[in-house]
Amino acid sequence: MVQAQSPATEVRSLPRLNEPAPDFEASAFVGKGFKNVRLSDYKGKWVVLCFYPGDFTFV
Amino acid sequence: MSVDSRFTHKIWQEEELSKMVKGGVPFPMLTDAGGRIGRAYGVYDEDAGVNIRGRFLIDPDGIIQAMEVMTPPVGRNVSELIRQVKAFQHVAKTGEVMPSGWQPGKPTLKPGPDLAGKVWKVWKPENAF
Repeated sequence: MVQAQSPATEVRSLPRLNEPAPDFEASAFVGKGFKNVRLSDYKGKWVVLCFYPGDFTFV
Repeated sequence: MSVDSRFTHKIWQEEELSKMVKGGVPFPMLTDAGGRIGRAYGVYDEDAGVNIRGRFLIDPDGIIQAMEVMTPPVGRNVSELIRQVKAFQHVAKTGEVMPSGWQPGKPTLKPGPDLAGKVWKVWKPENAF
C-alpha cells in the first residue's frame, strides 16, 4: 500500500505491459458538456490514454 | 488527461484547440486533479505537480499493449501512434506479427518453425525505414 504522507520514499513505477490498465474515474469535458468518464466504460474498444503537462502550454 | 480542471479544458477547447481542429478535439478531455491517476500510471511529476507525457495503448480487454513516456519538451508522433494501433489490431485479428518498419498494407510475418532463421529471405534492413 502506498503511503501518501511519505512521497520522498515512494517508489512509483510505470504499469506493466500485458497487465490490466489501472481503472479510474475522472471528470471530463466532452463535446459541449461535462461528464464523468471511467476507463471501464471503454471495455470492448481500443483506448489511447494520453497524459500531458498542461492546457495552454506550447508542445 | 492533465491536472487542469474541466473548466480549463473547456476554455482551452473553445479558445485555442477549436481554431486548430474544426469543431474542436473529438475525444474526452479528462481531469486528473492532484495527479491521482498519473501516479497510478507512473507519470506524475511530484515536484512540478503535473503529469509528464505518457501514452498508453489499451486493448478491448483492458490490457496495456504499448506505452510511450517522454519529458515535456518534445511532442509525440501521431503517425507512429496510429501505426501501432493498426498493428496491434492486426495482431489481435490474425496472429500475424509485424516486422520492424511495418506500415499498414506492407507484408506481415507468420510466426512458426518454417520461418525460424529464414526471416532474411522475406525482410531486409531497408524495410525498417
